[in-house]
Amino acid sequence: MCVGLSAKVVSVEDGTALIDANGATREVSAGVLDDLEPGDFVMVHAGVAIAKITEDDEAETAGLLEGLL
Amino acid sequence: MSETTVTLAHGAGGRQTSELIARVFQAHFSNPEFTADDAAVLPQPGGRLAMSTDGFIVSPWKFNGGNIGKLSICGTVNDLSCMGAKPLYMTCGFVIEEGFPLDDLEEIAAAMEKTAAEVGVKIVAGDTKVAGKGQCDGVFITTTGIGQIMEHAHTSGAYAKPGDAVIVSGDVGRHGCTILIARDDFGIGSDVDSDCAPLWGTVERMFEATDQIHVIRDATRGGVGTVLYEIAEQSNVGITLDAPSIPVDPRVKGVCGMLGLEPLYLACEGRLVIFAPQEEAQKLVDALHECPYSRNAAVIGHVTAEHAGRVVMETEIGTQTMLPQPKGELLPRIC
Amino acid sequence: MNETIRAAREIITGYSGRPLRIMEVCGTHTHEIFRLGIRGLLPESIDLISGPGCPVCVTAVGFIDEACWLALEQGCIVCTFGDLIRVPGTEMSLAGARAKGADVRPVYSPLDAVEIAKENPDRQVAFLAVGFETTTPSACLAAKQAKAAGLKNFSLLTANKTMPNAYQALVGSADAFLYPGHVNAITGNAVCQRLCEEQGVSGVVAGFTAAELLTAMAVTVKLLGEGKPFFRNCYPRVVRDEGNPAAIRLMEEVMEPCDSEWRGLGMIPGSGMKLREAYADYDARIKYHMPVITGRPNPACRCGDVLQGKCRPSDCKVFGKGCTPLHPVGACMVSDEGACAAYYQYATN
Repeated sequence: MCVGLSAKVVSVEDGTALIDANGATREVSAGVLDDLEPGDFVMVHAGVAIAKITEDDEAETAGLLEGLL
Repeated sequence: MSETTVTLAHGAGGRQTSELIARVFQAHFSNPEFTADDAAVLPQPGGRLAMSTDGFIVSPWKFNGGNIGKLSICGTVNDLSCMGAKPLYMTCGFVIEEGFPLDDLEEIAAAMEKTAAEVGVKIVAGDTKVAGKGQCDGVFITTTGIGQIMEHAHTSGAYAKPGDAVIVSGDVGRHGCTILIARDDFGIGSDVDSDCAPLWGTVERMFEATDQIHVIRDATRGGVGTVLYEIAEQSNVGITLDAPSIPVDPRVKGVCGMLGLEPLYLACEGRLVIFAPQEEAQKLVDALHECPYSRNAAVIGHVTAEHAGRVVMETEIGTQTMLPQPKGELLPRIC
Repeated sequence: MNETIRAAREIITGYSGRPLRIMEVCGTHTHEIFRLGIRGLLPESIDLISGPGCPVCVTAVGFIDEACWLALEQGCIVCTFGDLIRVPGTEMSLAGARAKGADVRPVYSPLDAVEIAKENPDRQVAFLAVGFETTTPSACLAAKQAKAAGLKNFSLLTANKTMPNAYQALVGSADAFLYPGHVNAITGNAVCQRLCEEQGVSGVVAGFTAAELLTAMAVTVKLLGEGKPFFRNCYPRVVRDEGNPAAIRLMEEVMEPCDSEWRGLGMIPGSGMKLREAYADYDARIKYHMPVITGRPNPACRCGDVLQGKCRPSDCKVFGKGCTPLHPVGACMVSDEGACAAYYQYATN
């Protein structure tokens, strides 16, 4: 139900964050994330940064599977 | 001529029309064949001829990597080139909106001149009409071209055969992505630039490498995906793509990721889709890599007898899925 | 292919136990499963069911009619997510309204619609607020920004939906849910945990990359084999147990629950969100004294039955005839991963 885009925060000002995804940039709302800083990675949906995230899915999924096998 | 913009009087056929033609078009398109008469008179070329026409509407008229003038030459040059035809002569028709700046018109004509010179095609006749404010958007251009088909060239969308390799001459979707950014409807910034380029030199080089080329088609509106479905249908074959080998510029990936778009369906203006026997593929790719507009050409798939009319993708995880069929308007999605 | 994907693949393809039904709730999961060809990996004993988590597919016909009314009768600039433009209403889609002269604009964010209102002070602007908990905060921010700026020419036509009551309606339709990662990023995991503890409903929160989706499915298959109800968060790089508290507060401040109609599932009490009274000036239905508009779906269209798995797309009379991806009659034919569109791609051609 929700296309998310993981992106890097370039700058933050007045509740608005400039984000960068592979060189595509856009201003998005930082209105529901308080303590964003340049260099953070965020998940963006419909022009709003909805979660702070870690960048890499590989290490995480590897860890999840290891616990099973 | 002291005005700075195009007026309705420029289109009325009188002295001002002549002045406009002299300042903008004759200045840039001058060659011995450029006519002041009602029609250009040309020497008779031998052999088979190819002829094509195309209209150009693009908003904004100028974008990163080109403008509508360059586009209007590339479009027709590339259509002729796909038939293995060396572009010889072109005509161009302008519909210009009242109030369009003359300097901008000159910039467009200069781009046309430069692109035509690169290819060696001559602009031999033109037409100018001025439309009232709001009746067209800036400037519309229609170009028509004639080319001479090389003796050993026999290409058609109906000639793809099972076993053929599918080659794309460069990364996909850049023009469409560039226009999307230039329109600024979605507030996205990117320095992505259009792939707009004249490809006659590229095609000439390909035929030096081999004349075993079944299909050449330039991917414009609708992108490479639309071309693949057209060829699959015209040749009544299936096409299997190797998804990870399709070249996509990271900047295009970024924009597409944001808007949920498929790069295969974004327009190109300087990309050829080529079908040739598997054993010729490497020769062609090597030749393409030597040409300035196809440095990242790649084999992206092959033709099959099965699933005729369909385009199947082999995915990054080793599964098969169908490339969705083209649907016209590209819409960003959140879902 | 990396090691994780290979390992997850092996778990899934090697499964040979009792038949399993796994429901991916989220439309973007459906899309990625389609794009990645994951169905082709599944052994016969695993059935993957597409749930109701695509705002396009569950949007009621009447909502499109309301939007067309705003665009054509009230002359509003109607801003919308691109997904909705081709969805059929009773008489026409928004694309059809646009062809009749309506000003319909696809936007990336509701906040962009607020900007359009600021740039067009002489025009009325309405945003079509659809979507689940992931998307609703953006609509709430738009309402708040419009109010703070004192805009008199901006409103929302709301059809926002929430998942908890929908899960209740879906209990029993699958052995496990793949929970929508980006909804849980907002709501947190409490609802899913409770479903597990109190009702024995199993599920995992799944991400969206190939590695994330396959890992979540492998974990599901493995744990279902063990027989005990389970809940796992397989998307911890994005989803925290508590979700996003600021987003939850924002939604509570601006909106309140209401009953909502889901195409295919009917009216689900308390499964929708509408603007609170403090934001009544920004509620398009109130602002324009909108009459009650009840959509009349094409009677031959069986999208509702398809969505509930009661019939196959090919059982529908209009499938492939009046209803094709280029000319969809029902919502399931609109997006590539919609059940009917996907079926059409494979079955015909």
